[in-house]
Amino acid sequence: MSTETVDPWHAMLSQQVADSAGAHSSLDQRRQSASEMFQQSGFPTRKHEEWRYTPLKSVAQGEYSALLPADGVLPGDDELATTSDIRIVLINGRFRDDLSDLTALPDEVSIRGLAGMLAENPDFVSESIDRLIPSDDHPFQNLADVFLCDGLVIEAQGKTDARIHIVHAQDGSTSSGSSHVSGLVRLSGGAKIEILEEFRSRGTTLANIRWGMEIGSGCEFSRQRVVRPGCDVLYHGTRVQVEGNAVFRDLIAGSGSRLVRNEIHAILSGPEGHVDLLGGYVSNGDEIVDHHTVIEHAVEDCTSREIYRGVLGGESRGAFTGMIHVHQDAQRTDAEQSNDAILLSRSAEMNTRPRLEIYADDVKCTHGATVGELDDESLFYLRSRGVGLEEARRMLVRAFTAEVFEDLENEALKEQFIEQLQEAMPAAGESKS
Amino acid sequence: MSAHENEGKMILDVNNLHASVEGSPILKGLNLSVKPGEVHAIMGPNGSGKSTFANVLAGREDYTVDSGSVSYSGLDLLDLDPEERACEGIFLAFQYPVSIPGISNAYFLRSALNAVRRYREESEVDAVDFLQLVREKMKLVGMDEKLLQRSVNDGFSGGEKKRNEILQMAVLDPKLAILDETDSGLDIDALRIVAEGVNALRGGDRAFIVVTHYQRLLDYIVPDHVHVLSEGQIVRSGDKTLAHELEREGYSWLESGHAREKTQEAS
Ligand SMILES: Nc1ncnc2c1ncn2[C@@H]1O[C@H](COP(=O)(O)OP(=O)(O)OP(=O)(O)O)[C@@H](O)[C@H]1O
Ligand SMILES: [Mg+2]
Repeated sequence: MSTETVDPWHAMLSQQVADSAGAHSSLDQRRQSASEMFQQSGFPTRKHEEWRYTPLKSVAQGEYSALLPADGVLPGDDELATTSDIRIVLINGRFRDDLSDLTALPDEVSIRGLAGMLAENPDFVSESIDRLIPSDDHPFQNLADVFLCDGLVIEAQGKTDARIHIVHAQDGSTSSGSSHVSGLVRLSGGAKIEILEEFRSRGTTLANIRWGMEIGSGCEFSRQRVVRPGCDVLYHGTRVQVEGNAVFRDLIAGSGSRLVRNEIHAILSGPEGHVDLLGGYVSNGDEIVDHHTVIEHAVEDCTSREIYRGVLGGESRGAFTGMIHVHQDAQRTDAEQSNDAILLSRSAEMNTRPRLEIYADDVKCTHGATVGELDDESLFYLRSRGVGLEEARRMLVRAFTAEVFEDLENEALKEQFIEQLQEAMPAAGESKS
Repeated sequence: MSAHENEGKMILDVNNLHASVEGSPILKGLNLSVKPGEVHAIMGPNGSGKSTFANVLAGREDYTVDSGSVSYSGLDLLDLDPEERACEGIFLAFQYPVSIPGISNAYFLRSALNAVRRYREESEVDAVDFLQLVREKMKLVGMDEKLLQRSVNDGFSGGEKKRNEILQMAVLDPKLAILDETDSGLDIDALRIVAEGVNALRGGDRAFIVVTHYQRLLDYIVPDHVHVLSEGQIVRSGDKTLAHELEREGYSWLESGHAREKTQEAS
């Protein structure tokens, strides 16, 4: 053995590439090239423009480099008020047939574990991944390519309306580590799918989850994501193609996790498509929440809306990078973007980077960003009516994030999201300094 | 009669109150005593400190109390947080009600009512009982029920905001209500409705301090005492006829020196 320290991630990757070689040629190739890219670039430092506000030092150090064990127990038992009767559970990155319930699945919808598909029809997986998630030198994409082993394949064809609850659970109670999940979604023929995607974790874990989606003409895909407290490190990436008259809606709510990086790359590729990206979060301590979005208006007559609202206490940091790219042909684009933050302490920080690249001339693009404090006037008004200081502060979190949640039809779920954020609100005394 | 003789019976006793904002003194030795059931009107020129006084009573933290004392129902009022004051029965109808987008009026009112009820060790009201109560009170102030589902004061007209203040007062059932220019911005009919609302809440031990510029309001809400606040002090007190006199003569007499003569204290 050499005395020089081997980067734990590099060692893991080499091992993985060696172990899985020969399974399937095009997947092997992608794995090989991802591994090479990662060995070259590694985890980006903060000098890297796209990762300036997401320090990955602790992730790079190796605490997470091992794979989480294939078995594990579902952490947490407080259930969300979902109206869906289809439930999918992944623990430590593995689709768990035994904990999932697909009996209510309509005929038009199919949901398969990716591991099963890999065994059965690797060509399909390989071809779908290449199409929906083009290879890219991105640290988490590279890891997902190298460690590709399980995930989900969701397909819906024709007029249908399904609600699906997906739980991504990380159980790091016996050993720390990471899991890597790839999800593929294809909707066609006017299908409507609603997904509640939930993240839970116990222990020191990194969840690396990526989705590639195709929302066919006239289809609708609505997703609500909730990052439950204690998720440690979560990378979540979505690449979605939205065709004519199709809708992609996403909402992410979260609190109490060490590092959350949420990336969405949406491409409006057919006229009259719509993309809706919403986010609400409360952070505290030294947590980091980074929303990184790209919306490409590739064709004319599409609309997009982005609203992210964060309340940051302690020494936590928030970042928002929002690119709106309007291609030359994308006339009559209507894009709206806003990012607002409330800082509860002097050491909390928010970095906002709107990026507009507009190559068409008949375009309506608005963006706004604000950073402020909790409004003293409102606080006094509430208190003068008998509402205690802490409750008044929590009410203002509700008020501030109201716009993010207002379209959510499931009132009970909406309340749970808002309450989670309210619970995460640091007390008045803690947040000063 | 002097304030001292009735001390035991006072709901509010303000003694030589000095308060400042950002280092500049605003209230400069204010004295006022209010007995249960009384209505006191406070008038006075712009900037004389009426709102400051009202806000100091409600516990706004932007104002520093430099000296003096305020006892309220036997409590040292200045020692209480704003929410404790509210729970103890103080209500301030704001001159400029605050709007809170994202919180519905109903949610706001119910949170407030339940906070006050918890403090008073009464059971919380559920959504159904609350709705019943609030509907009844909305009738009292002639307020459109639609405003319940709207965000607190958000986009409300001036008059709607003022009515909303009175609605809150009616729901929270205070012992001492301080109305800071609730009449300004109201049309004639609204003024009458709001005044009727206030009058309906009059009676028993509930006391009112009504800050206003206009005698007109006092035709509806007939005060027991009228005070003139000038430069942070009450410089004149009298009965309701004082309001008529002020309406006729304005405040130019304040400059002429006899305003500084010791006048009858609030009785
Ligand atoms: N937050 C503040 N900062 C600075 N000055 C203030 C503040 N609040 C009040 N003041 C000043 O204190 C003085 C008294 O103001 P206040 O609002 O109490 O007057 P008022 O008698 O209610 O007047 P009006 O009849 O116009 O409502 C004014 O000169 C005002 O400018
Ligand atoms: Mg005033």
